[in-house]
Amino acid sequence: MGYSMQPYGIQSMLKEGYRHLSGLDEAVIKNIEACKELSTITRTSLGPNGMNKMVINHLDKLFVTSDAATIVNELEIQHPAAKILVLAARAQQEEIGDGANLTISFAGELLQNAEELIRMGLHPSEIISGYIKATNKTVEILEQLVESGSETMDVRNKEEVVFRMRAAVASKQFGQEEIICSLVADACIQVCPKNPTNFNVDNVRVAKLLGGGLHNSCIVRGMVLKSDAVGSIKKMEKAKVAVFAGGVDTSATETKGTILIHSASQLENYAKTEEAKVEELIKAVAESGAKVIVSGGPVGEMALHFCERYKIMVLKISSKFELRRFCRTAGAVAHLKLSRPSPDDLGYVDSISVEEIGGVTVTIARNEEGGNSISTVVLRGSTDSILDDLERAVDDGVNTYKAMCRDSRIVPGAAATEIELAQRLKEYANAETGLDKYAITKYAESFEFVPKTLADNAGLNAMEIIAALYTGHGSGNTKLGIDLEEGACKDASETKVWDLFATKLFALKYASDAACTVLRVDQIIMAKQAGGPNRAAAAAAGAGGDED
Amino acid sequence: MSVRVLNPNAEVLNKSAALHMTINAAKGLQDVLKSNLGPKGTIKMLVGGSGDIKLTKDGNTLLKEMQIQNPTAIMIARTAVAQDDISGDGTTSTVIFIGELMKQSERCIDEGMHPRVLVDGFEIAKRATLQFLDTFKTPVVMGDEPDKEILKMVARTTLRTKLYESLADQLTDIVVNSVLCIRKPEEPIDLFMVEIMHMRHKFDVDTRLVEGLVLDHGSRHPDMKRRAENCHILTCNVSLEYEKSEINAGFFYSNADQREAMVTAERRSVDERVKKIIELKNKVCAGNDNSFVILNQKGIDPPSLDLLAREGIIALRRAKRRNMERLVLACGGEAVNSVDDLTPDCLGWAGLVYEHVLGEEKYTFVEQVKNPHSCTILIKGPNDHTIAQIKDAVRDGLRSVKNTLEDECVVLGAGAFEVAARQHLMNVVKKTVQGRAQLGVEAFANALLVVPKTLAENAGLDTQDVIISLTSEHDKGNVVGLNLQDGEPIDPQLTGIFDNYSVKRQLINSGPVIASQLLLVDEVIRAGRNMRKPT
Repeated sequence: MGYSMQPYGIQSMLKEGYRHLSGLDEAVIKNIEACKELSTITRTSLGPNGMNKMVINHLDKLFVTSDAATIVNELEIQHPAAKILVLAARAQQEEIGDGANLTISFAGELLQNAEELIRMGLHPSEIISGYIKATNKTVEILEQLVESGSETMDVRNKEEVVFRMRAAVASKQFGQEEIICSLVADACIQVCPKNPTNFNVDNVRVAKLLGGGLHNSCIVRGMVLKSDAVGSIKKMEKAKVAVFAGGVDTSATETKGTILIHSASQLENYAKTEEAKVEELIKAVAESGAKVIVSGGPVGEMALHFCERYKIMVLKISSKFELRRFCRTAGAVAHLKLSRPSPDDLGYVDSISVEEIGGVTVTIARNEEGGNSISTVVLRGSTDSILDDLERAVDDGVNTYKAMCRDSRIVPGAAATEIELAQRLKEYANAETGLDKYAITKYAESFEFVPKTLADNAGLNAMEIIAALYTGHGSGNTKLGIDLEEGACKDASETKVWDLFATKLFALKYASDAACTVLRVDQIIMAKQAGGPNRAAAAAAGAGGDED
Repeated sequence: MSVRVLNPNAEVLNKSAALHMTINAAKGLQDVLKSNLGPKGTIKMLVGGSGDIKLTKDGNTLLKEMQIQNPTAIMIARTAVAQDDISGDGTTSTVIFIGELMKQSERCIDEGMHPRVLVDGFEIAKRATLQFLDTFKTPVVMGDEPDKEILKMVARTTLRTKLYESLADQLTDIVVNSVLCIRKPEEPIDLFMVEIMHMRHKFDVDTRLVEGLVLDHGSRHPDMKRRAENCHILTCNVSLEYEKSEINAGFFYSNADQREAMVTAERRSVDERVKKIIELKNKVCAGNDNSFVILNQKGIDPPSLDLLAREGIIALRRAKRRNMERLVLACGGEAVNSVDDLTPDCLGWAGLVYEHVLGEEKYTFVEQVKNPHSCTILIKGPNDHTIAQIKDAVRDGLRSVKNTLEDECVVLGAGAFEVAARQHLMNVVKKTVQGRAQLGVEAFANALLVVPKTLAENAGLDTQDVIISLTSEHDKGNVVGLNLQDGEPIDPQLTGIFDNYSVKRQLINSGPVIASQLLLVDEVIRAGRNMRKPT
């Protein structure tokens, strides 16, 4: 091989296996195609009548869900441009916890429309500047569309909470939203701290128990642990709780210790002193008034024996985080070593008992009065995948609650906002001079995909619905949305479909951001796929490592 | 060929073939990087071996990530990287300038010129251009109170070539303020004192400057306070955990009491250290509601954390070494290595310390410090590639501000310098040169035009039109640059487009050197042992 044989240009300069794509046709259009593919996958899952997807991931785990965040996470997208969309959806999921589907689908729609513009002859940079203008305008309009009077809300009023949560939950579990919303609202209100903005989603736990149905689900003020008590005492009422993070056993030195024994009597004595020591400790705990010991580590046989003798219930929680939550539930302070706890460090639970629900032994710790820090939603369902899906709906609900604690403003749902945005943006575009105009118009048109998809998924005639919506909005009815049950247009305030302003805002911004990023790229340089174990497996192995 | 006789496996390219190979490689690299230049440049997407995405407009990043194999291209890339090391910016310009020099030379060589003559011309032109640069630059006086406006303009010019406009404008303030914050009179600026921290959160426009420090870890005890005001800060490097002895030691005991005693004895020394800190805390916090924060470079084990938590002290363990230095600069006080002689003088001060939890990650903010000499640029962005992009840009922005402070002068941007230098070379210098070296000077002068040409090209303007309108303005004696919006000449001074003097100097210095070297190559031999695969 001689140098003179080398090709001209960049390809000659890269390592073997590198690929280089550049220019409109090769890079931009291809990227758009990939993103379109992705959004067609998620799109059919949008809205309450969205279809479920069955995804089997690399660990052979089955997912049946219409939650876009889960779908795209499990799909393991390889294409770099599509990945940008996935990242946008993930950001949305982390920030708000809902609206991932809107992000992906909207970004896909924007790119699809951009493709038409590129084919018309517009340069991507012109499209980007148009899109950015349109995004800014959208944010402006969106703020005007906020329902007046919704800025202030009582986050402890269940009706108001359910009112705002319904749409988010309904899009995941249509028909069951009433039950779920009421459960989630109860759970959230219970744990809502004095300053609602500090609401922590971690404080609402979900326990999934196989069997029964959704109507069997309930709320527990406190925690549900999927484990049995260690000893034979399974029930305790109005008990004080001592929490030991380090385990309930004889203490040990960091340095290796050896017992030095010279004779048989010493051996006997040693066992006795050991016993006496443990008894002394357990007795001290019992004397402090604690009736329940919660241990974060192993519970020694001998210690357990004395606990039984002093009628102390013993519970083992090996997860560090779970233990911390338990401390919060009971209001206890965890001790590191087994020692006599001071009265302030003791926690209190109304009842703690081991129960069997649907063949699973669980320990339920209830704290009716002081237990405002943790609440658990016990979900019942017939299969694992149903439970998983219910859990995601609950998660969305809880996240919505968190979002509304920070920003309680709402906008009309059921595509009413989107149509209104489309309409006003088109007016704005008409007033605009220059090439941006086309891009803004397309941006406005992209909003139509929401009512279109909602109608399509519900089996309605999309064109008729959109036309009817435009007519309605044209005549000044800004809250006109789709009523999916009747298949007609109805005022969103009548159907009570409201979306959170924050969810919409972030979804639209992330989507526009992602779309612009994809459009900005004109060259792609791809390295050879690295060999060895694939990344997901490596990540899974990495996640298994110790966290603390 | 002679080499073949000596080593039959050798590959040889000679004379014009070698020259063309190098020229082609230089042009190829230029083609790749060309579209990056300027605020209207496009973004490149790099996909790594494991599918990770990187978006960049920065020539330096691109050259680093692209694994280049062609020997000539590697040489050019190295020059560009050197450019980045020295001045922090101008990598793309370096590459395209070298490419253009080679392109101009190719034309001359095809007409039968000897490379040596060209190289002589380059040398003369280079020296003349550097002299011209010194007369052309705009001096800026950097006294105790530097002119913030000019710094902002320089930073803006750099940042706008890396990021989109609105974000760049926002970062401009951040970058300028952070450099001014760490600047100490009579001392060189150490940019490491600006901590760059990132959070995957919200939007890129939420990036901000924190006057203080942001640490990317939190306290490890559930009962420690998450937020404290009016804090004394103890920066220390003291191990507060039990350390196993080096030798293989063991305890012998014969009953449980003895063992208990061992357990307490084992911890005593650690506990004593903790107690000393607590004593200090009680001394400074007695009678007021001030808080006490420990930032330790070494570890703090759970029992010690527990003791501290009970006293209401916030303790952070395993702080990064670089942060220890910054902490002292930001909060004052001094870093202590032993707890034996603790005095209140060792303590720093911060108005607010709080923890921010983001999913699994914890961040600790130390803010509202007095008179800081260290600060943090907190980059936010929805995803990793956005953050990486901003990070690269911030780095370049900081460098540009630093350069300006050190150079005490700036150069008009937007292609104004290049056009002016060309006019100078063509009208003045060329006439003073004797003989064929004139052609070298001419080639050099024309190569300078590549910057405005590429700027125009990337903005979708007509290159020829732009160059003609620019040169005719310069002929009239007006120093103008290119307005990328409409392609008309503008005065860079009015629009605030300034480049770093050191960047331009380095560019003019290194470009011709490497081009000359490449031009003087007349044989490429590959005869060394192949290190990759033994045959």
